[in-house]
Amino acid sequence: MKYLSEYRDADIAKRLIGRIKTRATRCWTLMEVCGGQTHTIVRQGLDELLEGSVEMIHGPGCPVCVTPLEQIDKALLIAAKPNVIFTSFGDMLRVPGSDCDLQQVRARGGSVKVVYSPLDALALAQKHPDKEVVFFAVGFETTAPANAMAVFRARQLGVQNFSVLVSHVTVPPAITAILEAPDNRVQGFLAAGHVCAVMGYTEYEPIAAKYKVPIIVTGFEPVDILEGISLAVNQLEERRHEVENQYVRSVRRSGTEPARALVQQVFELANRQWRGIGEIPMSGLRLRDEFAAYDAERKFGVGGLKVTEPAACRAGDVLTGRIKPPQCAAFGTLCTPERPLGAPMVSTEGACSAYYNLAKYRTADPAGAAP
Amino acid sequence: MCLGIPGKIQSIRDDAGLVMGVIDFGGVQRDVCLQYVADEVQVGDYVIVHVGFAITRVDEDEARRTFEVLKEMSQLDELEWMAEAAEQGMRGLEKPA
Repeated sequence: MKYLSEYRDADIAKRLIGRIKTRATRCWTLMEVCGGQTHTIVRQGLDELLEGSVEMIHGPGCPVCVTPLEQIDKALLIAAKPNVIFTSFGDMLRVPGSDCDLQQVRARGGSVKVVYSPLDALALAQKHPDKEVVFFAVGFETTAPANAMAVFRARQLGVQNFSVLVSHVTVPPAITAILEAPDNRVQGFLAAGHVCAVMGYTEYEPIAAKYKVPIIVTGFEPVDILEGISLAVNQLEERRHEVENQYVRSVRRSGTEPARALVQQVFELANRQWRGIGEIPMSGLRLRDEFAAYDAERKFGVGGLKVTEPAACRAGDVLTGRIKPPQCAAFGTLCTPERPLGAPMVSTEGACSAYYNLAKYRTADPAGAAP
Repeated sequence: MCLGIPGKIQSIRDDAGLVMGVIDFGGVQRDVCLQYVADEVQVGDYVIVHVGFAITRVDEDEARRTFEVLKEMSQLDELEWMAEAAEQGMRGLEKPA
């Protein structure tokens, strides 16, 4: 692990920090949307370096963290069925459901497999025609093209023992919901670079105009983030509110069009529950009717399941920036990466995990803490 | 799962109508779907890969730097999933040549 001072471009980072501090006539409140950005900010101590000029609120951009308990419980129900091979990205396995997690289902004899790509799950279905193979299709716009292709391919190849449990969310409605909240403090956003690499950023332009907030498409490396913050602060100081692209090396305004097109062919917009936040209108994706045969909720009759989330975990307050993880009473005591109460402690993209790892590092080696 | 990992295209092929390729991720090779970037890439190019799908092309210096940064920030979970998937006897992870 390197710290900011050791990066090759540490000088650029220092200059950017200087520029932000000089430019800011007051403390501005910004939100980074992407969990990868949260990780960088917390690990590199960027929030501390900018204290007094910028407060960073960590947004709901960790796909594992916002997957609602309801969907996890549906996954657990399906995975426990005898003839099912349940497949998932690796970081969903330890997300706690109401009673257990997918890893425990596997320990009790359920067939739960980690796949790297949803096409691996489809290949598994072709290899085991006597089993039902289900893939847990979670994530933001970065995984949607992959999941859309797996479903499209299944139909193209006539694979009938394959289905997906869809829990897809999209970023722009979440930004809108945060801005609509009566207690919102966010004055500008760093939008998630790779989400925009797929989708482009035209969807953000009406949001920036309507709510008068700068939205900066930003990468996830320390210098990217500082540059994104600097652009946002410039706009705020000049009372501008535009969508600006810091991550030019990966993001085009229109995104990756073939990927967008297939996502739109396979999925349609739908209301979605966000863990700890509740339902956000038209904030997710579901399979279009013509792909209903690949919908695991219909296939296994779990669509009606409703679950109430436990109160001890304050993931919702963390995901909306109302509290920082260490302000949660369970943080580091009842809730650790080894025994997580909520998803933000499970995923490396989760804010609680990012803070916990930093705190642990400091306890072990205080001399080497971030500058 | 949103960060994506940069890798180098080793080969490109048509797999029953789907453009696939072998990508090298810092010594680990595996099959990746290139359908979404098929018009703009060739063997030797670098791409950012999300969960087995190339989403965007990047230049070589950028790809190398990003890979190092991801490694330093312990954000290469997806490579671990590749390893776990391979242990389970699934296709995809081949030993580097």
